[in-house]
Amino acid sequence: MLEFLSRRLAAALVTLALATVVVFAVVEVLPGDPALVMLGTDARPDTLAALRASYGFDQPLAVRYLHWIGGLLTFDLGSSHAYGTSVAKLIGDRLQVTLPLAALALAWAMLVAIPLGVFAAWKHGRPGDWGVMGFTQIGISVPNFWFGIVLVLLFAVTWQLFPAGGFPGWQDPLKSAHALVLPALSLSLGEIAILARVTRSAMLDTLREDYVRTARAKGAPERTVLFRHALRNALIPVTTVAGLIAGFLVAGAVIIESVFRLPGVGQLVYDSINNRDLVVIKNVVILFTILVLAVNLLVDLAYAFLDPRPRVRT
Amino acid sequence: MKRFLARASRHVGFQVGAVLLLLFVGTALVSLLWTPHAVDELQMRAKLMPSSAAYPLGTDHLGRDVLSRIMVGAQTSIAVGLIAVVIGMTAGVALGAWAAARGGWVDEALSRTSDLIFAFPAVLIAILITSVLGASAENAILAIAIFNIPVFGRVTRGAALAMWSRDFVRAATAMGQGPLGITVRHVLPNIASVLIVQATIQFAVAILAEAGLSYLGLGAQPPVPSWGRMLRDAQTYIFQAPELAIWPGLAIALAVLGLNMLGDGLRDLLDPRLRLLRVG
Repeated sequence: MLEFLSRRLAAALVTLALATVVVFAVVEVLPGDPALVMLGTDARPDTLAALRASYGFDQPLAVRYLHWIGGLLTFDLGSSHAYGTSVAKLIGDRLQVTLPLAALALAWAMLVAIPLGVFAAWKHGRPGDWGVMGFTQIGISVPNFWFGIVLVLLFAVTWQLFPAGGFPGWQDPLKSAHALVLPALSLSLGEIAILARVTRSAMLDTLREDYVRTARAKGAPERTVLFRHALRNALIPVTTVAGLIAGFLVAGAVIIESVFRLPGVGQLVYDSINNRDLVVIKNVVILFTILVLAVNLLVDLAYAFLDPRPRVRT
Repeated sequence: MKRFLARASRHVGFQVGAVLLLLFVGTALVSLLWTPHAVDELQMRAKLMPSSAAYPLGTDHLGRDVLSRIMVGAQTSIAVGLIAVVIGMTAGVALGAWAAARGGWVDEALSRTSDLIFAFPAVLIAILITSVLGASAENAILAIAIFNIPVFGRVTRGAALAMWSRDFVRAATAMGQGPLGITVRHVLPNIASVLIVQATIQFAVAILAEAGLSYLGLGAQPPVPSWGRMLRDAQTYIFQAPELAIWPGLAIALAVLGLNMLGDGLRDLLDPRLRLLRVG
């Protein structure tokens, strides 16, 4: 198992190294002159030269790349062109909105999806199952940002129970949580659908196992059979998928943050694109990639603990 | 074919999906020839009107007919989604089939590359690409296509590898046919159903992605109507004209729902044992 994990870790590090090359190429090499991108084509030559010098764009590519990697390793990400502050602080501040949003969405998704999946498996092939499956089909088809807009229409415009957007900061945690309810609901829609499907099929697998039949034969109450015997083992694949989703939830927050005007990392990326703030963009993208890779590794780790049977390499 | 139709006639999900897809494609085709109003016809005196006989779904913030714009928006969705999937599928199937036929370092290199692409959060990279290259329908297609390549690559590789271990393919090898000939004559025809099902699902994913990008202003640029963009504009006027935020979203949801149901139905009808990759 140690060998399996160290191999996964090595693979993740190689992927990460390649990812930095790709991001660097897309952000700094592909557009030609990054200074021109940042200041626009009508910038004066002396301002361009000054920007090039201050960001080191006049240095050779390899030097610029290594400088960036060195900065990443020491958490010195440089300073933002548009905001004039340190990129590390900027991202740190924005994560205070995005991480709680993603966590809330994931918690809500698991809370709803697991019982739904158990219910569907229990009613397998009957109307209750069709209902849940129909709902999941709709859940993966409805764009989550539109669902967000519909929630705003209902709960902010018509009934005025929740704010239509914006974020009050964390001075008053209750008020902040209140502002995150609608965004988290919209972000979780697709994840609920996927997790409910995974739970259902995992439950269908475990419900066919001998130990479940034994439990039923012993006369164990249906509730005990479903939740204690079947669900416990079905949770292994569910945890795996929930983990994989978690990484992408953070990235998926980009659009939802735009819908609700939340000052999170996603909104930062969006604004940085409009501000042509390349330094911010490349660092956010690489941090998200690290996050996805780290989550995948954690999932592998959790999987190895939950399911000690030897793994076949795929 | 007859058996397929007989089974299809009993598969409700497949039928609903097929009807929704026909509606979607039909709307786009009709809009090529006819729309209730010209798409760009501005009526400055009839801005943000509720639905009426002349404007069944009302008018937008520039006084344009919403129904006409939704009809033409179907063209944009289909064009962007279809081209992105065709590009991704062509490249992905070729690379996946190559990896399966060649094995060894080719397989290893291609598999690691697809791992690399999957490690990036798709939404962010699509945003990155469209922002570096400029916001346009073409660049949205490119951004979506790139993420379709590894999806089709993996599916093709997996299905093709299974074919390569089958007796009839071994027999063909023994008869001295080359890997390219075997791939084209024996492997690809036998995995076509997997690819068709995956393509249907990816088309749905691509339409969602296009809608998301154009909602952020990174897809087709005005005055080309696109459903995502319409939602963005509608949100600005959500207090004055709430219905505006309903129709384009409903159109996206129905189109995607149709393709998803059709894909799931096709999977049941063609090969119930298929497992799909879902990457969003």
